Amino acid sequence: MSETTNSVSRRTVLKGAALGGVGLVGAGTLLSSCGSDSSGPVTFTARTNVENELKIAQALADAYEAETGIPVTMQGSGDTNAFQDGISQYLQGTPDDAFQWMAGFRTNFRADQGLLVDLSENISALGNQIPEGFVSGATNPSDGKQYIIPTTWYPWGLHYRKSTMLELGLDPENIATWDDFMKLLEGTQKKGLIGYAMGDKGGWEAMGTFSIINVRLNGYDYHIDLLNGREKWTDQRTIDTFNQFALLIPYMNKNFLDISWDGMRDLLLAKKCGAMMMGSWWANEFKAKSQEDYDDLWIVPFPEINPAYGRDSIDAPVDGLCVASNSANSEGGAAFAQWCGSEEGMLAAQAAGDTNLYANTNLDTSDYDPFNKQKLAVIGEAKNVMNFLDRDCRNDFAGTIVGPAIQNFLRKPNDVNGIVDGMQAAWDALPALA
Amino acid sequence: MSVKKSVGYKNRQKRKDRLISLLIGVFALLWITPILWTFWTSLRPYTDIIQKGVFSRPDTLNFDNYFNAYRQMDIWQYLSNSFIVAIPAVILTLFFGSLLAFVITRYSFRFNLYLLLLFTAGNLLPVQLVYAPLFKIYIWIGDLVGNRNILYDSYIGLILIHVALQVGFATFVLSSYMKTIPKEISESAMVDGASVFRHYWNVILPLLRPPLAALSVLMTTWIYNEFFWAIVMIKSDSKRPITSALGRLQGEYVTDYNLLAAGAIMAALPTLIIFFILKRQFVSGLTIGSTKG
Repeated sequence: MSETTNSVSRRTVLKGAALGGVGLVGAGTLLSSCGSDSSGPVTFTARTNVENELKIAQALADAYEAETGIPVTMQGSGDTNAFQDGISQYLQGTPDDAFQWMAGFRTNFRADQGLLVDLSENISALGNQIPEGFVSGATNPSDGKQYIIPTTWYPWGLHYRKSTMLELGLDPENIATWDDFMKLLEGTQKKGLIGYAMGDKGGWEAMGTFSIINVRLNGYDYHIDLLNGREKWTDQRTIDTFNQFALLIPYMNKNFLDISWDGMRDLLLAKKCGAMMMGSWWANEFKAKSQEDYDDLWIVPFPEINPAYGRDSIDAPVDGLCVASNSANSEGGAAFAQWCGSEEGMLAAQAAGDTNLYANTNLDTSDYDPFNKQKLAVIGEAKNVMNFLDRDCRNDFAGTIVGPAIQNFLRKPNDVNGIVDGMQAAWDALPALA
Repeated sequence: MSVKKSVGYKNRQKRKDRLISLLIGVFALLWITPILWTFWTSLRPYTDIIQKGVFSRPDTLNFDNYFNAYRQMDIWQYLSNSFIVAIPAVILTLFFGSLLAFVITRYSFRFNLYLLLLFTAGNLLPVQLVYAPLFKIYIWIGDLVGNRNILYDSYIGLILIHVALQVGFATFVLSSYMKTIPKEISESAMVDGASVFRHYWNVILPLLRPPLAALSVLMTTWIYNEFFWAIVMIKSDSKRPITSALGRLQGEYVTDYNLLAAGAIMAALPTLIIFFILKRQFVSGLTIGSTKG
């Protein structure tokens, strides 16, 4: 395996040198990284600075060393937002061999610049340990290769309390159709509660609702094409998506631009709303309140709108490990990343107390609690995995254009045409990607 | 009549004083509220807030958050990093700043004023603008000597940035102060045959004690509080200063704000201690150079 990885990494590295890695990276240093061998010591940056997660990362490093005899030096990334914003400098400077990262545009863009090592061989070596949707989420559309070894993910879905559904006479474990969903919203509103909780202060929260309505209505391919400029925002299909989204606005809380995602969570926590569309990472807050509240919490895929597409797509941001081509020992980094994506690596992480949703078909999930099982089921149902809007399209479009545009739309749902015109104009004005 | 008038005047003055005190009180309250609120938050456990909301009567008030923050922040390592950077940076800044100010004020040549302008104008550039080119320069210099980490990801690089950014302000303040030192002192030094360096070191520098003290206090707090460069130019977390240690208390999605509040108060303590010990220098530092001799 080391032989094949070697040639692959050399090719990627040369490609990086040809592209010039934004012109500044000295070819000499780049080529010197080819001299690495996979048995040398490995450095590893964990994308976190929280004590507990650092402990888990250290446990991974220790377990790898115990198994292979290769020492791994782990360090935290410091503030994760700063790490995210400074990734370009990190990769052009003196990066660690392997680092935890997010799939989607954030990986693919750097991969196209030659800053990341092609890990397709490692993915094939893992074979069917990795679920299909997982690989699809980790694939770079521009060359069909993978530059990240996926390890964890979480679903975006409709969260609600089972007790509320029982009171409304709905199936507490399944809200499958748009009619059921409407009954839910109307029912909760009649009870004097908020139907559909929305907090879009951050500008990204409502992207979840937009994306899921778009894929339910127009399909996964259209959505991804739209986000990458191959379809127009002014297309009638996009306008239909916004109009469908507008149907939810009467059921929302009025202060949706004043609260963030955690404000929505608090509404559900306090039983003040019916349902909310959100990534599922905060169930522990329910547990902190009481076991009863945790048992009451449930998640389902967003209901079907267009039978042609059913519920075939889901936002499930994939996290994993990337390997920097500029690093001292990229081969060793790739071997470590592959190990982290394997059953042994995931078991080591779970043994250290990691409660993230690891995806490996070999893992035994029988002792998961019902909510976590349901999360797996929600992801498992989907054929196409999206990485969430701000990871599926270029960063200078998602945060600066789409976020404010959706905020404007929520304020003025009658002005859809003006909003999509503005979005398309903004997309057309973007400089070409280097 | 005249007595009456003076009583009226006195009353008016009293009323004015009271109004001013009231205004000062309101502003003091405005400034202190966030700090007190932070302190109050730091005493409450997170679960309390989750269960009952932010504006609720607390069940428990204790210092647990402080103990946890202390443990999680690895505070001593980051604190020493802060001082490894701040102390040489301040000393170098004051040294270069005083040298420059000395030349600018004690010798007159054509480009005096422009030189001073050049150095102070550097402070007007936003750091975010300087960052990308500086990063490339650091890597380029590193590649030249065959070790990319000679400036990037190193204390030396960080110290140099601080010196470069602060020296303009130091020059500005020190030169306005130096202008108040009588020319006769310099003239007699020259008559006695002192060399340029001796003139600077033995004659002028001892007279600069007050502004140097004030500046060193100001700059220590500024550099101590600095966050930006430490994040972008230091890759290794173990070399980062105390401000980044606070980030250790923040999760990617969920943040325990009560714990963070305790950490913030602890991180602010050294600056507070420095302030209370050297309060007089601090205040004079803010007004220094405001009156030109």
